[in-house]
Amino acid sequence: MDKRESLWEAYLKRGFSRRSFLKGCVALTSLMGLSTDMLSKVVEAAETKPLPVVVWIHGHECTGCDESFIRSASPLASDIVLTNIALEYDHLLSAACGAPFEAHLDEVINKHNGQYILAVEGAVATKDSGVYCMSGGHTFTHLLSKAAKGAAAIIAYGSCAAYGGIQAASPNPTGSAGISNFVGGKPVVNVPGCPPIPEVMTGVVMHVALFGTVPPLDGDGRPKQFYGNRIHDTCYRRPFFDAGMFAETYDDAGSKAGWCLYKLGCRGPETYNSCGNLRWWQGMSYPIQSGAACIGCSNKNFWDEAPFSDRLPKYGKLGDADKIGVGLGVLTAAGVGAHAVASIIQRNRRDNLMEEEHKD
Amino acid sequence: MAHVVVDPITRIEGHLRVEIEVNEAGKVTDAISSGTAWRGLELVMKNRDPRDAWAYIQRICGVCTTAHALASVRAVEDALGISIPNNANYIRNIMAATLTVQDHIVHFYHLHALDWVSPVEALSADPAKTAELQTSLLNAYRLPLKVPNEIATEAYPHDFPAATVQYFAAIQAKVKAIVDSGQLGIFAAQWWDHPDYKLLPPEVHLLAVAHYLEMLDKQREIVTPHVVFGGKNPHPHYVVGGVPCAISLNDGNAPVNTARLAIVDRAINFARSLVNNYYLPDLIAVGNIYVRAGRVDGGGLSKTRVMAFGDYPLDGYKGTSNGNGYFNNLLIRSNGVVENFGQGVANASFYEITADDLKNDTVSEGVEHAWYEYPDHKDLLHPWEGITKPNYTGPKTGTPTMWETLNESGKYSWLKTPKWKGKLCEVGPLAHYIIIYTKSQKGLLPEPTWAEKMMLDQIQAVSTVLGVSAETWMPTMVGRTACRALDAQLAAEINRFFFDKLIANMKNGDTTTMNNEKWYPDTWPKECMGVGLYEAPRGGLSHWVVIKDEKIDNYQCLVPTTWNACPRDDKAGHGAYELAMMDTHVAIANKPLEIAKVVRSFDPCMACATHMYNTKGEEISIISTDPYRR
Repeated sequence: MDKRESLWEAYLKRGFSRRSFLKGCVALTSLMGLSTDMLSKVVEAAETKPLPVVVWIHGHECTGCDESFIRSASPLASDIVLTNIALEYDHLLSAACGAPFEAHLDEVINKHNGQYILAVEGAVATKDSGVYCMSGGHTFTHLLSKAAKGAAAIIAYGSCAAYGGIQAASPNPTGSAGISNFVGGKPVVNVPGCPPIPEVMTGVVMHVALFGTVPPLDGDGRPKQFYGNRIHDTCYRRPFFDAGMFAETYDDAGSKAGWCLYKLGCRGPETYNSCGNLRWWQGMSYPIQSGAACIGCSNKNFWDEAPFSDRLPKYGKLGDADKIGVGLGVLTAAGVGAHAVASIIQRNRRDNLMEEEHKD
Repeated sequence: MAHVVVDPITRIEGHLRVEIEVNEAGKVTDAISSGTAWRGLELVMKNRDPRDAWAYIQRICGVCTTAHALASVRAVEDALGISIPNNANYIRNIMAATLTVQDHIVHFYHLHALDWVSPVEALSADPAKTAELQTSLLNAYRLPLKVPNEIATEAYPHDFPAATVQYFAAIQAKVKAIVDSGQLGIFAAQWWDHPDYKLLPPEVHLLAVAHYLEMLDKQREIVTPHVVFGGKNPHPHYVVGGVPCAISLNDGNAPVNTARLAIVDRAINFARSLVNNYYLPDLIAVGNIYVRAGRVDGGGLSKTRVMAFGDYPLDGYKGTSNGNGYFNNLLIRSNGVVENFGQGVANASFYEITADDLKNDTVSEGVEHAWYEYPDHKDLLHPWEGITKPNYTGPKTGTPTMWETLNESGKYSWLKTPKWKGKLCEVGPLAHYIIIYTKSQKGLLPEPTWAEKMMLDQIQAVSTVLGVSAETWMPTMVGRTACRALDAQLAAEINRFFFDKLIANMKNGDTTTMNNEKWYPDTWPKECMGVGLYEAPRGGLSHWVVIKDEKIDNYQCLVPTTWNACPRDDKAGHGAYELAMMDTHVAIANKPLEIAKVVRSFDPCMACATHMYNTKGEEISIISTDPYRR
C-alpha cells in the first residue's frame, strides 16, 4: 500500500515498451515548454519518483476547473486519474460521499502528512465566519486550513482560488477571496484562468509528478511556462494590430477576415496566458480565433474591468491614466498609447529575465 | 427510526447535503435537501452592461457551461427587441445540443455510474463473456432512430465499442492492480459491499467500468463545436445579437470557414456514435435489470407535476415574453405542465405555458424554508421583482459553523422555492418526455415535428424492451436516468439537423451571424424587461432581466436544480429531491446508497441553484483596477 508506482513502473505494468515510455517523456518535455536538453532529466524523474497523492477541495466555484482538467488530451484524463496521480479526494469524480468520504480525507492527510498535493478550486468565502460556503457540516475556511497544514504543495486552480473569481466581483456579497492568505503562509502555485487551459492544469501536476517540485514560478506564483507571455504577443492576429487593421463591429469585413479585435474590447494586450501559443484543444482555437474578444479571464479583477465590449471607461474607470501614461480620450490613440506602454513593460520583463538568467 | 446525514453529496456540481428519517422497514418518512453554499453572483450584475451579462452569468456553472450564457443573451435580446440572424440561431442551437449530449454522457458514466456498478464486482467478470455481452447489447439495445433527410458525411460508424477478450482483460488487470495496491484513489471509501451492487452480473460491471474510462477520454471531443464557435470550453464566448464567430468562405483566417465546419461535422458524427453505440445500450442493459427486479421507486413529484419550457427555435426569431416569436417557432413544444401522470395518462392534465404566463404571476418564488427574508411578510415574488436578502439562521443542532442537524421546521437551505401557480414542479429530461408523451396521447400534438415523433418512438421502443407501460417506467428513478439518455440521443440528432440547416442557408448565400442594429445603448428603450428560456440538460431554465438607463437593474435566474432541489413549502409540500427520497426504499440505514443514487438521478447542479439577485441590493461601485499592474 505504501509503494506508489512511478510513471516507468506504470508503463511497464501496462505492457508498454521502453520506446513508448521515452516517447511519452519527449511529449511531456515539449508540453512543459522545456528544451530537449531536459529530456534526460525528465526520463530520470519519470523512472524514479513515486506518484503524488492529490487532494482536491472545492470552495466557491462552478466546477468548470474540474471540467477543464478532464478535457486534457495530453496526458489523457484517465491516465492522470488512474496512473499519474492518486486522486484521493475530489467532489466531482470520487465514488464515495458523506461521512465515510470525510473520514477518508482525514486518513489521507494524516497518513501522507507533508507529502500530498492540495489542489484548491474555488474562492474562500470569508464574510460572516464563512457560513456562505459549507461542506460536510463545516465551513470551507475550516476545510482549507485543515487540508493546507500537511500539504507539500498547494495549487490554486482557476481565477477563483487564485484571486477570488467572479463571486468576488463588486460588491462581493460573500467576501470571497483567493486562498493565499488562508493557507498558513504556505506558498501557492497560482494557475489562473476561467477556467485555465486543460493542458495547463494537467501540465502543472505532471511537473510535480515528474520532478518532485513545483514548476518555476513568476512573482505572482504563476508557472512561467504557461503565463510568461501576453496573449497579444503570441496572437496569430497580431500582424493586423501592427498594420492597423481592426474589426470595428462583430460580423463586419474585418471580423470575417480575422483582423485584430482590439476595438471590440479585446483584453489580449493585458492578459498573460497560453491561449495564443498552446491554445485550446491542442491548437484548435481560442476565443480570438473564434472571433470573440478576450475578456482577460486569467487576470486579477478581470471581473471588474467591464464593460468587456469596449476599451473606453464609460461605466467606470478602466485603468489609471497616469500609470498607462496617456490621457484617455480618443479610442485608438488611447489604445495604441496603452499598447506602447504595455510593450515597454514586456520589454523590461525580458531584460529582467535575461538578467536573472545571467545571475544563474 | 434513524436520522441519517449525507454531506457532502459528491459526483455533482457544488455543495449539497441531505438528511433523512428512515424507519426499521427502510421507509423514508422525511427528507431534507439543502444547498449549503451561496455565492451571491447575480448581485454583481446590478448596473453592469447587459451585453456583458452572459460572461458573468455563464460562470454560475462550469458543468452546464453555455446554458446560462445562452439563456442570458436570449433574455437581453427579448428585452431589447433584437431578432438574431438564422445562422446565429443554428450555431447557438448546435452549441446547446452539443452541451446536452456531452453533459448527459458525463453524468451517466462519471457522476452516476458508480451508484450502479462497482470496480470490485468487475474483478470476478469473465473477459470472454464480457465481450459476448458487448456484442449482444449492440444487437439488442441500439435504437435505430435518427433525423430524416440528413446530409450524410460519414462513410461508416468509426466509433464502436471494442468487443474483444483482450480489451476487457486489460481493463480488468488495471482495476485489479488498483484494488491490490490498496490505494483506491477515486474509488476509495464507497459502500462497495452494498447489496445493490449484486443486482447486476459481473460482466455488466466490467463493461461499464471499461466505458467509464473510455468516455472520460472521449467526452472532450464531443464539445469541439464549442471550441470552434466559442473559442474554448468550459465557458465559450457569446455575444448579444448573434454569435461572435463570423463566417467567410473567402478567408483562411475566418472564425468559420469550410475547414472549421468540417471539424464541427466530425464532432457531431462522433457524438452520435457515442450515444448510439455506448450510452443507450449500456443504459438499457442496466435499467432493464433494475425494472425487472421491481425497482420502480424514486419517482416522487414526477408522478404529480412536471414542467418544461420547450426549445430549439427553428429559425431566427424575436420575442419570448415580448411577443410569440419563441413559442411559435419551437422544434419541441414541451412548454407546459403535466399533472398526475402517475395515475395514468387518461387521468393526467396538460396546461400550456405561453408568453403571457411569463408576464403574469404564474411563476414566482417563496423563501419560507430558505435562508432569505422578504419584506412586508410577502409570500411570493415574481422573478422581475425578485428580492434576496440573506437571513442565515444556522442549524437545529450544532453551531452556525459546525452543523449536526438542520432545522426542517425552520430555514435550512440557500435555495429558494420556485412555484408554478403556487405549486411545486419537477423539471428535467423526464419532465420533457412526460409532457410530449401526454400531449400526444391526448391528441394535443396533431402534427408532431420530426423531433417530437422521435421522442414518441424512443418511449415506445424502451417500453417494449422493458415490457411495461410508459406510465410505469417513466416516473421512477430508472425512468429519470433513462429519459436523460433518450434526450442525449435526440440532441445528437438535433445537432445534425441544425448543422444541415446552417449549410443550406450558407449555400443560399447568407453568411450573416450578427444583428448590430441595437448594439449601441443609445438605441435601447429607457426601461425594458425580458425573459430567456432554454430547455437545459437538467430541465427548464429561465433568466429574467430588467434593463434601466442602459444598465442592468434586476437579474434573476430560475434554475432547474432550484425547481428540483428546493426546500419544502408549508402549503405546497415537498420539492422533487425530497419527495423522490421519500419514495425510495433504503436497505441499510447507515449506508444509504439508494438515497445518493436517487438524488444523483436528477444530476444536481448546486452552484446553479443558489444564485439569486437582490433588486434592493446595495449600491455598487465599480472598483477601478490598473490592468498593467503585475
